[in-house]
Amino acid sequence: MTDFGATGSHPHELRRGRSLFDLDDRTRRRNRSEGAFRWLGIGAIALSMVFIVILLGTIVARGLPAFTQTTITIEVPLDAAVLDPNGTGDPEVIRSVLTFGYAPLIERGLAGTVAATGVETELTSSQLPQLLSPGVAATLRDMVAADPSLVGQTVQVEALASGRADGYLKGRVTRESLARDTNLSPAHLDVLDALVEQDLARRAFNWDFILGADASESRPEEAGIGVAMIGSFYMMLTVLLLALPIGVAASIYLEEFAPQNRLTDLIEVNISNLAAVPSIVFGILGLAAFIQFAHLPQSAPLVGGLVLTLMTLPTIIISTRAALKAVPPSIRDAALGVGASKMQSVFHHVLPLAMPGILTGLIIGLAQALGETAPLLLIGMVGFIASNPPDGFIDGFVSPNSAMPAQIYEWAKRADPAYYERAWGGIIVLLLFLLVMNVLAVLLRRRFERRW
Amino acid sequence: MFDNRISERRTMTNEIKIRAEGVDVYYGDNHAIKDVSVDISDKMVTAFIGPSGCGKSTFLRCINRMNDTVASARVDGTILLDGEDIYDKRVDPVQLRARVGMVFQKPNPFPKSIYDNVAYGPKIHGMAKNRAELDEIVEKALKRAALWGEVKDRLAAPGTGLSGGQQQRLCIARAVATEPEVLLMDEPCSALDPIATAQVEELIDELRQDYSVVIVTHSMQQAARVSQRTAFFHLGHLVEFDETDRIFTNPTDPRTESYISGRIG
Repeated sequence: MTDFGATGSHPHELRRGRSLFDLDDRTRRRNRSEGAFRWLGIGAIALSMVFIVILLGTIVARGLPAFTQTTITIEVPLDAAVLDPNGTGDPEVIRSVLTFGYAPLIERGLAGTVAATGVETELTSSQLPQLLSPGVAATLRDMVAADPSLVGQTVQVEALASGRADGYLKGRVTRESLARDTNLSPAHLDVLDALVEQDLARRAFNWDFILGADASESRPEEAGIGVAMIGSFYMMLTVLLLALPIGVAASIYLEEFAPQNRLTDLIEVNISNLAAVPSIVFGILGLAAFIQFAHLPQSAPLVGGLVLTLMTLPTIIISTRAALKAVPPSIRDAALGVGASKMQSVFHHVLPLAMPGILTGLIIGLAQALGETAPLLLIGMVGFIASNPPDGFIDGFVSPNSAMPAQIYEWAKRADPAYYERAWGGIIVLLLFLLVMNVLAVLLRRRFERRW
Repeated sequence: MFDNRISERRTMTNEIKIRAEGVDVYYGDNHAIKDVSVDISDKMVTAFIGPSGCGKSTFLRCINRMNDTVASARVDGTILLDGEDIYDKRVDPVQLRARVGMVFQKPNPFPKSIYDNVAYGPKIHGMAKNRAELDEIVEKALKRAALWGEVKDRLAAPGTGLSGGQQQRLCIARAVATEPEVLLMDEPCSALDPIATAQVEELIDELRQDYSVVIVTHSMQQAARVSQRTAFFHLGHLVEFDETDRIFTNPTDPRTESYISGRIG
């Protein structure tokens, strides 16, 4: 820029005889541009910091409510006349009662609980259960099926509040917003206020969100990310078991053993190119190769893991090769010089020294795979309602499941604002996992790092 | 001149350890070593001198086939170790390198303990049956490298934590631990200060008792101090090979004279 501009007379003549204390124009101009550049840098960093703060702030503010859930404590009379009309006491008969049969009991129990608070309401007892999740009946039925002797007694149940009642306590649902809502009326909120006052309705930490399974569209209060987390775990396991050995073996061969010729160059270029291929391409490849050709089950974490392995391999190979390249050649010479074979020099000396770099690359690859959604769209892991955890360890690989990012995407698509909140909560869980993995990468790096 | 050399060699009692005949080395299209023939005697220090890029290191690396690791390198001619061609198809370079040890220009200890550095060679060659034997080998090698006294109390300390001179002696200990017959040294003192250099030179002179030592050096004084025979390389040619005293006092070839008197190189 101005650095090389001609100034007319010869610089030596200008400089001679001048005091060091007085800056010439050229120096001043240079200092000015340096200062401007420094401020530009500071500005860029400040701007990115602002964006990060906004991002994290939004995620935390919108996602945190998903980690708490309102429950309403109700006393439910398990009326023998309804559950065991013939008085047989036979557990089989009691178990045969559908969840539908429990609805009137819950209705009665809730009405009783509300009446006990002394609040005046125009709502009929059949309207009150809208405060509760439709899932409560199923919970109650499971409880009785597990212990048929409960029939005839009155049990205290921590019933899940419905998504809207829960939203009211979290500030998501207001009396104004209910004007356009047929599910809940302001009268319900009056009752809810009274229940809160008597500590019968309260918010507690929501373990079910972290450990539980997804639920149907109408029951957001029951949905959790736990089963999707298991799906993600199995996929990561598949990626780890396949991508690490294949990636490291390929890199060692390319870096240490392969002859330097056109074919090797071609392979290298293609690996670099593969790293930039959109992930959805790997998804459709997985659909064609693993599901349509190899007939592996749809929506299975095994297939997801295979697809993500394909996607992660280039990343792992590139970082492993960089780590191997960074080991000084003198170490290889030293090993060969004392009569080690090529393989001994690699496995005894080069690989241990490259370990921190390899592990960092691996974890970055895994983190990338953990957050990947697009390829899962094509193999049926998105939109699948992962309602049951797998039956056993091996079953976990093949039983249909979802994955954390796919689950989040699925929730974000659903209409109920309670699901929107859960999508943000899921993002927090996902980010925590990524944070843990990155911390792990740093720790492993420190642990294995050696100087030479 | 040729007859003269033969008669002189006959006066030496030492056997010939390595015989190179018509060796040519190419790096791709670059003809690095041109028709070099040289006889290296046992229990003697042979120095290779010459200006940078003259091929002396390249030739040294041919003797234990370290050039095999360079994809573009090609070696023609024969190099015999005890009468056997080391470039024969049946020769495994790994086995050869156990008999022809090497010390490099820059000290390159493994980033492991001092003990493990020395024990590595004996371990991979299965030279010790148990820990006690290995301990013995390590101690012997470190003593031979004149390093035992300085490190015997901290064998578990990392080898990279030693000073430059100590590191180089550790590398020499590592090389002699596998009981080689020939020790190749590629400018072993170029990264060391004068005191460490003096120690290593003294060590080289002692190693002559057991090994055939070949040393590449940039320093003519060093060649004069440690070697019995000196080969002068220039532009890939072996210009002159003779008794060290003769090379430095009465060289036959005008190029040798120019080099040792400082006119070229």
